[in-house]
Amino acid sequence: MKRAMVDDLTEMLKGTLEGCVLEIIGSEETYGYAITRRLNELGFADVVEGTVYTILLRLEKNGLVQVVKRPSEVGPPRKFYALNDAGRDRLATFWKKWEYVTSRIEKLREGGR
Amino acid sequence: MTTGSDEPKNRYLQYLEIVTGPLEEKKRYRQYKARIKRLPENYRIAVEALERYLMHFGPVDGSGAMEMYEDLADLFERSAADATPIRDIFGDDPIEFVETFMSNYPLGQYRARERHRFTSAVDRAIGATPPQDRTE
Repeated sequence: MKRAMVDDLTEMLKGTLEGCVLEIIGSEETYGYAITRRLNELGFADVVEGTVYTILLRLEKNGLVQVVKRPSEVGPPRKFYALNDAGRDRLATFWKKWEYVTSRIEKLREGGR
Repeated sequence: MTTGSDEPKNRYLQYLEIVTGPLEEKKRYRQYKARIKRLPENYRIAVEALERYLMHFGPVDGSGAMEMYEDLADLFERSAADATPIRDIFGDDPIEFVETFMSNYPLGQYRARERHRFTSAVDRAIGATPPQDRTE
């Protein structure tokens, strides 16, 4: 029953995943596969590689991350991502928006106006 | 385009674009195709399915489209190396994935034109609405 409750978070997570990815990159330089695993371990089992890749492409195109290619033991080089100043600003904005949205929704639940 | 001192340069650039542009893109496209061919079979099938969808609905403009295909090849080469199951690349909804992926690239001319047409039609409709209708 508890599982069913948190099973389909895709729709709800849509607008917040970018912020989550920024937060993960912000704490240490990392790559797509590791970011996906991190989100899965956090409890977002439905977050897949392709979704994270698409977010990373967007962050790169918007100039919010610094990208370095590093050789990998298997396969092509991995792209490692780190936040730049613009990315850190975006992350700070994300947390402000998050706080605003959650506080409003919480208020709604408590029946306040 | 009719007068001005930079006309010969423009013509030259146009010429360059006509002659080398498509060649450069053809080369990139061939390289991309070769990368896809080297993928394990199930990954290759998945990319080719994506490619078909993107050919229909994705950007059609040369270099934007090539960048998109190359990013796709990057994703699938890396996923094959990490042995990420195909389902874990796409998730439950492949359409959702491909549409989000596509939105990172400039729109194809057809979609861009229709979006612009739609947006300005809505603007005109709003402009044409008498104020009393909106406050009801």
